[in-house]
Amino acid sequence: MFSTLLNQILSDSTGQPFGSLQLFGPELTLSAGIVLMLLARLCGIDRRLPTHWIALWMTFIAFSLGVFQFVEFSRSDLGTVEYFSGLMVFDRFSALFRLGLLLFLIFTITLTVISGIPDRDDAPDFYSLLMGASVGMLLMGGANHLLMLFLGVEMSSVPSYAMVGFLKGRKASSEAALKFVVYGAGAAGVMLYGISLIAGLLGTAEFPQIAIQLQTLFAGESAALSNPAIRLLMLGILMLLVGFAFKLSVVPFHFWTPDVFQGASAEVGGFLSVASKSAAFVLLVRTVLAFVTPASSADLGQIYLTLGLGIGVIAAITATFGNLAAYSQTNMKRLLAYSTIAHSGYMLMAIAALIVLRAGLEPGSTGYDDRCARAVEGLLYYLAVYFFMNLGAFAITALIRNETFSEEIEDYAGLGFQAPILAIGMGMCLFSLVGLPPLGGFVGKLFIFAAVYDSGFVHPLMWGILAIGGLNTVFSLFYYIRVMKTMYLQERPATARALRVPAWSYSGAFVLILTLPLLLPLGTAVQLVSGVAKRAAMSLFAGL
Amino acid sequence: MDTVGLNSYLLVAAMLFVCGVVCMAVKRNGIGILMGVELVLNGANLNLVAFARYTVLGLDGQVMALFVIVLAAAEAAIALAIALNFYNNHLTIDVDRGSELQG
Repeated sequence: MFSTLLNQILSDSTGQPFGSLQLFGPELTLSAGIVLMLLARLCGIDRRLPTHWIALWMTFIAFSLGVFQFVEFSRSDLGTVEYFSGLMVFDRFSALFRLGLLLFLIFTITLTVISGIPDRDDAPDFYSLLMGASVGMLLMGGANHLLMLFLGVEMSSVPSYAMVGFLKGRKASSEAALKFVVYGAGAAGVMLYGISLIAGLLGTAEFPQIAIQLQTLFAGESAALSNPAIRLLMLGILMLLVGFAFKLSVVPFHFWTPDVFQGASAEVGGFLSVASKSAAFVLLVRTVLAFVTPASSADLGQIYLTLGLGIGVIAAITATFGNLAAYSQTNMKRLLAYSTIAHSGYMLMAIAALIVLRAGLEPGSTGYDDRCARAVEGLLYYLAVYFFMNLGAFAITALIRNETFSEEIEDYAGLGFQAPILAIGMGMCLFSLVGLPPLGGFVGKLFIFAAVYDSGFVHPLMWGILAIGGLNTVFSLFYYIRVMKTMYLQERPATARALRVPAWSYSGAFVLILTLPLLLPLGTAVQLVSGVAKRAAMSLFAGL
Repeated sequence: MDTVGLNSYLLVAAMLFVCGVVCMAVKRNGIGILMGVELVLNGANLNLVAFARYTVLGLDGQVMALFVIVLAAAEAAIALAIALNFYNNHLTIDVDRGSELQG
């Protein structure tokens, strides 16, 4: 029996050209990297060969495998491949997300090497946690089963708790980690209870089966809220959404974000802010598409429409809250945390648009899949830009901390003239976060707002949400500009330590590599990136 | 044997869940909150196992329950280490006493 199992895993018996283990290659490589790092310390090799080289090389191999699979998969005509007997799914969407995440991991490891946050003794622990969390996020990107959903969320959260508390002996760091673990464990528990209700009600936990079961379950009955089964289903979905809201730091489950980001080191903050959020959004898209299908009955569609509008309202509240609360911040990491909350709000608008379009439009009407795919495409494009601008902002915060030993905004006074490369890079990241026209963030916002505008034709409330989103963009300008004002218009105190960050150093080059792509979306690059995002988004709808 | 049906299991699980949520909400002791989390996870586990026995969910439910048990252990290990770290820095485990980070 064991040998049949092994055979099935190694070479797929279903006649697919891709075996399960082969598709799982990048994750396996990362896991092998973790084992290697721990073994290296056991044998004392880490004294001669710095651990970050193992981490970097294994991530690079995983990335190359991912590229190889992406190209190979694009050549074949396969839409989606389920592997590990339906637990995971591989399509262009998950392939693209995997590439993005592994590239991000390479950038994060490089940043930690430059800024030197884990010292030599702690490096194996730190990189194991980092890569372990990344494996969890990769699982989230390919989840096709409610169990994998929960496993992915937990596997990415649990190492994150430890990474937040990594600055040992610091009061703030230990407090941040405790707050994170308490909120996180609570949200995960509620999410699991929701999953158990959904799985029990539907009698299945596989995503493709959910829609079919929903249809048979409510075939003869009304699917209005008066039906107890529907109430149970909605309760389960709401509990599931609580877990997502925690991961995405959406109001009212955002309390942990500022504290955790301020207490953790800026490098960890950047990782949590970009990687963890994008994984959660990718998983949310998959979950939404599993539940909200064109085949859902009219009553159920009505309930989903209300749910989508509710998520839209919450997204608008989240964006507004994040932007308003960021005004009074004096600590850079805390400011970026509130900005992260605000950006979660913007991106959640795309999800709301997706649900509203999918539930509200007449199935089979012209461009039904196309219009839904455009919301996902906007989200993917925004995530791609967010990768650079938000990691850039956190990285520069870390690099400035290494020079001035401070993360308070007032200590940034006069940096514009002492460390021009850092200040200009920070300016580009912040203005891109606002969404000012020449920079990448503008195009990303445009794509998302276009999808929200489109969903307004289904329900006019979405236009109101769009208006709030637009207003928020204006609000956010002020607090980002305050940082720039401190850097350029205030004198550096004579007693302050002088900075020397030349452009031709590792840190200068790193900042350049991160911020230059923000300028790219001026011309053909927009078409290139959005083309890739579009194909990935369309692959989600092809099979339905 | 047959007198105990699915509903009884679900009722016990729901009680566990509510106890856990209340425990998370009112306890100020970090360890107490973690105990609440365990109650919630076990409530969900009981649900899964009961559904596995009485509905078409079948073995899927039992497998999920097994995975959750493993995950709960991993999470408890990390959480206790973090709680110990907090105690070493603050000499208390009262979550309200962590007030460095505010604003």
